[in-house]
Amino acid sequence: MDSELDQWITLLRSPLLDDRLVAIKTLQHLGDEDAIAPLIDALQDDDPTVQTLVITTLWEFAHPSAIPPLLGCLGSPHEAVRNEALSALKELVSTDDLMKLLDVLQTGNFHAQLNALVLLRKIHDAQALPFILPFFESENVELREAAVTTLRYLNQVVRCEPALALAQDPSETVRRAAVLTLGHLSDDGVVPLLSTLLTQDADWQVRRNAAQALDILADPAAIAALVAALTDPEWQVRKFAVRALQKNADPRALPTLINALADDFSDVRRDAATALGNLGQAEALSALQQTLNDPDIDVRIFSERAIAKINQTLAATAHG
Amino acid sequence: MAQTSQRVDVPVIVDESKCLEKCNACIEVCPLDVLVKNPETGKAYMKYDECWFCLPCEKECPTGAITVQIPFLLR
Repeated sequence: MDSELDQWITLLRSPLLDDRLVAIKTLQHLGDEDAIAPLIDALQDDDPTVQTLVITTLWEFAHPSAIPPLLGCLGSPHEAVRNEALSALKELVSTDDLMKLLDVLQTGNFHAQLNALVLLRKIHDAQALPFILPFFESENVELREAAVTTLRYLNQVVRCEPALALAQDPSETVRRAAVLTLGHLSDDGVVPLLSTLLTQDADWQVRRNAAQALDILADPAAIAALVAALTDPEWQVRKFAVRALQKNADPRALPTLINALADDFSDVRRDAATALGNLGQAEALSALQQTLNDPDIDVRIFSERAIAKINQTLAATAHG
Repeated sequence: MAQTSQRVDVPVIVDESKCLEKCNACIEVCPLDVLVKNPETGKAYMKYDECWFCLPCEKECPTGAITVQIPFLLR
């Protein structure tokens, strides 16, 4: 070890806070990997500013040996330390660290568990599922929300019955996350549950997320609920319901989609025009012609395309 | 490059009460080398009024002593 490096490593143990900060910053700039072990020791420093700066430095070194000590910082009582460790680990963790993350879930420290759930989203490994499920029954809203969100990121998980219960959670933040997750599941009760939430949930963001989830699932069983959602008081709900109807072209939606062409919000009108184009019914043509004068250029463009598409469909049917 | 006469008018403001005398982080990262140490106080300051508003000095400062005032039209 050269003397310059040695000098800064010694300064890491200085009783003066300023000296320790300068030492860490200098070691960061020197970039010598011999400094990693002393820096890991410095994570035990009493001062949160020092701890945060050490985490930033270890993040820059990006050495695998720093991952276990950084995981230890996820449960720090200091918010800045926890957040910096989380940011660093978001970049550093890989599939090899799955077991270490699952160990953190067992610690009993709320912050560590919450951050570990967030980090598991980067690994996408279905092996984490049995370790996530207990958090669905946690008393803490944030843990329930994080767990059900993480479920969405796990590859190969297509069925998860306990997630359905979270879609009826008393907390709207949990319901919002759970409903989006349901869009990636194929359990038997998913579509009826999402349809009920789309039309009956008190929170508009839950209703909007239900429409988005139904858009992903593209199940014809949801048509009636999607048509009913076109009269929702919130425009975002109407917009995503119309989008879901674009995939599920069903003649039952025709009258409400024509009404949606006169919606106050141009996004709804534009998406309704596309949905009518996909339906390919001649009944929509006169309503679409009227939207060619729409004040929004997007609506005019998409209406024109919808009319062309309907004419094409009609011509194909006539010739067929 | 114009040398600065009034340190309050430059875009890089250093809070001298927070700046560490032994630290050179901002000076090392500045791509234009416009930051220097005041030999009397040991604190950093902007010697030349030339700045790209690239912000590493602000981000690297371990004590948050540096504020870069970005002109309104660049924000």
